[in-house]
Amino acid sequence: MEVGCNHAQSVGFSTDGFATTTTMRKLGLIWVTNRMHIEIYKYPAWGDVVEIETWCQEDGRIGTRRDWILKDLANGEVIGRATSKWVMMNQNTRRLQRVSDEVRDEVFVHCPKTPRLAFPEENNGSLKKIPILSDPAQYSRLGLVPRRADLDMNQHVNNVTYIGWVLESIPQDIIDTHELQTITLDYRRECQHDDIVDSLTYIEEGEDKSMNGSASAAPHKEQQQQFLHCLRFAGSGDEINRGRTVWRKLAR
Amino acid sequence: MAGSLAASAFFPGPGSSPAASARTSKSTTGELPENLSVRGIVAKPNPSPGVMQVKAQAQALPKVNGTKVNHKNVGANAEESIPYTTPKTFYNQLPDWSMLLAAVTTIFLAAEKQWTLLDWKPKRPDMLVDTFGFGRIIQDGLVFRQNFLIRSYEIGADRTASIEALMNHLQETALNHVKTAGLLGDGFGATPEMSKRNLIWVVSKIQLLVDKYPSWGDMVQVDTWVAGAGKNGMRRDWHVRDYNSGCTILRATSVWVMMNKQTRRLSKMPDAVRAEIGPYFNDRSAITDAQSEKLAKPGNNIDSDATKQFIRKGLTPRWGDLDVNQHVNNVKYIGWILESAPISILEKHELASMTLDYRKECGRDSVLQSITTVSDECADDHPGSNIQCDHLLQLESGADT
Repeated sequence: MEVGCNHAQSVGFSTDGFATTTTMRKLGLIWVTNRMHIEIYKYPAWGDVVEIETWCQEDGRIGTRRDWILKDLANGEVIGRATSKWVMMNQNTRRLQRVSDEVRDEVFVHCPKTPRLAFPEENNGSLKKIPILSDPAQYSRLGLVPRRADLDMNQHVNNVTYIGWVLESIPQDIIDTHELQTITLDYRRECQHDDIVDSLTYIEEGEDKSMNGSASAAPHKEQQQQFLHCLRFAGSGDEINRGRTVWRKLAR
Repeated sequence: MAGSLAASAFFPGPGSSPAASARTSKSTTGELPENLSVRGIVAKPNPSPGVMQVKAQAQALPKVNGTKVNHKNVGANAEESIPYTTPKTFYNQLPDWSMLLAAVTTIFLAAEKQWTLLDWKPKRPDMLVDTFGFGRIIQDGLVFRQNFLIRSYEIGADRTASIEALMNHLQETALNHVKTAGLLGDGFGATPEMSKRNLIWVVSKIQLLVDKYPSWGDMVQVDTWVAGAGKNGMRRDWHVRDYNSGCTILRATSVWVMMNKQTRRLSKMPDAVRAEIGPYFNDRSAITDAQSEKLAKPGNNIDSDATKQFIRKGLTPRWGDLDVNQHVNNVKYIGWILESAPISILEKHELASMTLDYRKECGRDSVLQSITTVSDECADDHPGSNIQCDHLLQLESGADT
């Protein structure tokens, strides 16, 4: 997030933290995240230096995408990748809006012309849909309440807080023995200070189970755990986020 | 007398006998907490009342403590001719990867691009070029200095750095100081002699005086040093300045005592440890004793009708609040305490000073409540007026307050 904002600021977008172009501000538009997908292959430790490269580009006619590659500066190894989708929303009506050609010209002049993806491979995890989840969830943590610290300048819950809430309902024995390898989040609704949120976790069966019974499938199943998630308002049950996490067993 | 000083540092309270206080602390066998008492938060109004000053935590994440230090300074003894001992707290060294995850999503800029944007040049010749901001020991080994850039996720709704973000810098410099001096024994913020005896540092009191909050993109310079505190304790002070203007941002002082890891009982300072750290004590004080006492005085709660009390219940540690020992990081307490501060104060004021007395540890299953009592409130809202709040963070079920 920091690098994204700094990139935007360095090319002359607004410095209020919103990275809006002149036209966007005239029209009262702001960027909102639609989807976030992060994969971490190796977690850095205290004192490590991480280098992050980021860029943005058009994403169909609807919005933009921003991609990141994270490297360990000491050895150049890629330790993670991430991609995100963004759309524009009217600040006042809170409704999504298509990107007009004017805005596109302002934004994309600073983006690489040749498409470049952090996840160029076919059928990669960032494209997988997250299905609608139906009760009952195997695990849950109910009654989560935003703290003041979770709010951004707009008094809305910051999207990083959602990650913490999603993880709240993961069973402790997974947390003790695994590390988070992948997280995908679809953002659907906004959440504010007075809302109460329920976090639900469902076990997702790996698809590899149904493939041929080759030797590679069995150890794969043991090395990874996969979950689907839902954050929703405690009262109405409306979805705030949907998510998927994949966990890698720690070799302890 | 020195002994009582150390104990009273842990349980400051006029009239409380050190022996009795010490007994209370030892009754806890392990992780479950009981009590946290905070005194004297003084808030001063924002000079421009129209601007919102909400002390939100933003996404301030404690810095990551890793088991392995890849930094080339890890064999720091070779670099400094004076072996420097500045032991630290019981912050464990294993990565708390919930914070790592968030740290990954909020990032450290590539050094070159950053320096290009900021046109950063080292201004003081006694400070070696510190490309990645790891910090350096200066002034013949008596002070450690490190710079930090304020990140977007460290600012709150009022667009200035949150108090938690600033305290995280204090923690980071303290640990880097010890690490650079080559005195981070066995990963638990203990010196080698302490580790041999299963002792760890625990914080008992922190006092902060904030003059000015930095904003996103500002660079702050943190100086830190240590001194003795009574016979068995250690004091660590910090002075934080804006790197470019030199203006003071905040001053802080903290008191640390030793605790046995297994028994969780406080311990006297062994002679061997004193020999390790004694030579590095620096008499300088960030906050004078007089200032300190003034800040720590509890408010006037004489008339219970006139004072307002605010309670926020049901505070539980979240997944990201815990370290690997399943204990709540001490910076997180600040957020909880401020949860119960009335929004009317937070909106128009900024935190000017804070005194915290740590009494008990807190674990994952604790349910806490935060109580704020407002006292000494000025009737009018003119800029410059102060409000003092007393806070108590306690177990919902706890009898003690």
